[in-house]
Amino acid sequence: MDRRSFLKASGAGLATTLMGTGMLSWTPRSEAATISKTYYINDGTRAMPDGVSVYFKSYGDSATALSLPATPIICQEGDTLSITVINRLLKTHNFVIGGLKAGDPPLASTGNIASGATGTINLAIPSGAAGSYMFYDNVTGYNRFLGLHGGLAIMPSGSSTTLYSGSPTFKKQLFWIFNDIDPALNNAVQLNGTIPTTFTPRYFTINGLSSRPPGASGFGDPTIDAMADPRSKLSGSIGDRTLLRILNTGMCSHSVHTHANHMEWLTNNGVVRSSVWKKDSLYLRNNLGKIDSIYPFSPPPDAYPAVTTGHFPMHLHDEMSQTAGGGLYQFGSMTEIEFI
Amino acid sequence: MSGMGQACYVYPGAPATPALVTADISFSRGIYMNGSMLMDDGKSVTIWGFTDLAAAPGTMAGGNNGMGGSFPSPAIRVTEGQIVHTSLTVGNMWMHTIHHHGIEPSTENDGVGHFSYDIYNGTYTYQWKASSAGTYFYHCHVNTPLHAEMGMYGGLIIDPKPLSTDPVGTKRAFSNGPIYDVEAIWACDEIDPALHTLAWNAGTCGGDVGLNNFHPKYFIITGVDGASSALTNPGVAVNMKLGQTALVRYICAGFFPQKITFGGLTASVVASDGRPLPAAWSTTSIEASSAERYDCIIKPTTTGTYTVTVQFLHWITGAVLGTAKTRINVT
Repeated sequence: MDRRSFLKASGAGLATTLMGTGMLSWTPRSEAATISKTYYINDGTRAMPDGVSVYFKSYGDSATALSLPATPIICQEGDTLSITVINRLLKTHNFVIGGLKAGDPPLASTGNIASGATGTINLAIPSGAAGSYMFYDNVTGYNRFLGLHGGLAIMPSGSSTTLYSGSPTFKKQLFWIFNDIDPALNNAVQLNGTIPTTFTPRYFTINGLSSRPPGASGFGDPTIDAMADPRSKLSGSIGDRTLLRILNTGMCSHSVHTHANHMEWLTNNGVVRSSVWKKDSLYLRNNLGKIDSIYPFSPPPDAYPAVTTGHFPMHLHDEMSQTAGGGLYQFGSMTEIEFI
Repeated sequence: MSGMGQACYVYPGAPATPALVTADISFSRGIYMNGSMLMDDGKSVTIWGFTDLAAAPGTMAGGNNGMGGSFPSPAIRVTEGQIVHTSLTVGNMWMHTIHHHGIEPSTENDGVGHFSYDIYNGTYTYQWKASSAGTYFYHCHVNTPLHAEMGMYGGLIIDPKPLSTDPVGTKRAFSNGPIYDVEAIWACDEIDPALHTLAWNAGTCGGDVGLNNFHPKYFIITGVDGASSALTNPGVAVNMKLGQTALVRYICAGFFPQKITFGGLTASVVASDGRPLPAAWSTTSIEASSAERYDCIIKPTTTGTYTVTVQFLHWITGAVLGTAKTRINVT
């Protein structure tokens, strides 16, 4: 597909038919509820952009489906989380919901889950817990970025538009979960070999996928192309303020850069900032770093003549992350921002 | 695709700008691919960048003669509210774009090839309006892990409109923002010389050319080696009188995180990424990630020589890979 065709397609059927299917959907309730979810710890391989097959583990939606990252959970303060985790692998694993702020104790944990066993979490979400969380396996230091990770969103009780009490408001929300992959590590785990002492990432993902540019195999396929993945793609009209729950499960720090609009920076590592800065580039710390920001979907302020539609990237500005296998620029951690 | 080898996933073009109007201010950029930077250890590193075709109309813009030029590339400086044209002319040997980082124009004028065009064998005029005073920079967005690393960037400053109540010549960081006397633009960058031998299209068709594996050896401030030269270079070091106010426009122009420390001075950070902060932030150091900008008001209260350090931090380990230094001399 050439560029002109791409612009035409992305402006019409392709994008709009997918819009909204990956967003975190939420309707507040006046009554607390029990939110139940079952994850299957499983494994499998996935083809990287250069064709290399890489081994992953995941908290799958089924016994065999590799889910990178895990399907997110959204709930509200006062709900009860009922999570069942079935370990289908030979090694011991666990499921930990990290604390809201760096240094906080975990919100909950299954404890170790032996091969073939089942772990559970039953947690009454306390008041004041609203925010963005990462859940992961920490039996080893590397299971998390082998793929055993996901996002948990806790909404303030009764609210569908705020991150925390009194926060700026939004209309939509999604997770951006970044990961960095060194296949040498993944292969060592798969083959039960010696774990490497160094980590050199060769692949970079957002919500488990890398981007594909026009003309590339998989371009536009929401199951392959992070640009088209509705879990990642920002799609909206003017005023569709979207909360970005940004999690870094990987080993590399990153700079999250949006085109067309500055983001409103609400939290850093779970801490509500004392004032909201407008930023086009945000420093996302490695190893469990977290940011919440709002993409406002305002008209691009420097366009002349003014526009209300267009297509732009979100990419990491540490540009090594925009590659695959040491080359292939535009096959890394990038997604599309679409003004419709 | 070109005389210098095949490139993949590039989108060549140089069309007419949609809805082109008469600009309030215009810049004309070519490119050079054979510049160099002499480091303090006596070694030279190949540098690419943008030329100012208006200042040196005899230079070529691509083709076979990408003549050397300044590093960083010539700054773009405009006034808030102006309609700006940045024309980029590229020959038929390479492809490049200009992305005005932090400027948020229409898709066609954003300089991202796969959403618009990689400029090739012609001229494209980026049209945009300077809506918010502050510190930005511009860079090439083609094979960016290489082209930005090679030096294809320059400063971009939007000054506020002068206030009618201000004396002529008054300089402010942004509209109704703090007044300053002395200005520094510190674009802090790290250089991995192993990457500076690659062709413009390296890795675009696949193959491991090492663009994921960054090992910088040189640490520079605004095109000057921070090992020692930047301590005294007149384009980098700040010389000011006691009682004066300096505005340091700090640009994290590299890929790895950085930590800048102002030699014991306290900075009042008044803006970031081209937007005023709701309240100034007083600090003696800033940790920044790639492409962040911080506008820092510094008003020393005693004379002296203050050594500013910029530490470059590994993106995984956080280890300090190198330090660039300059000075603020207060007399």
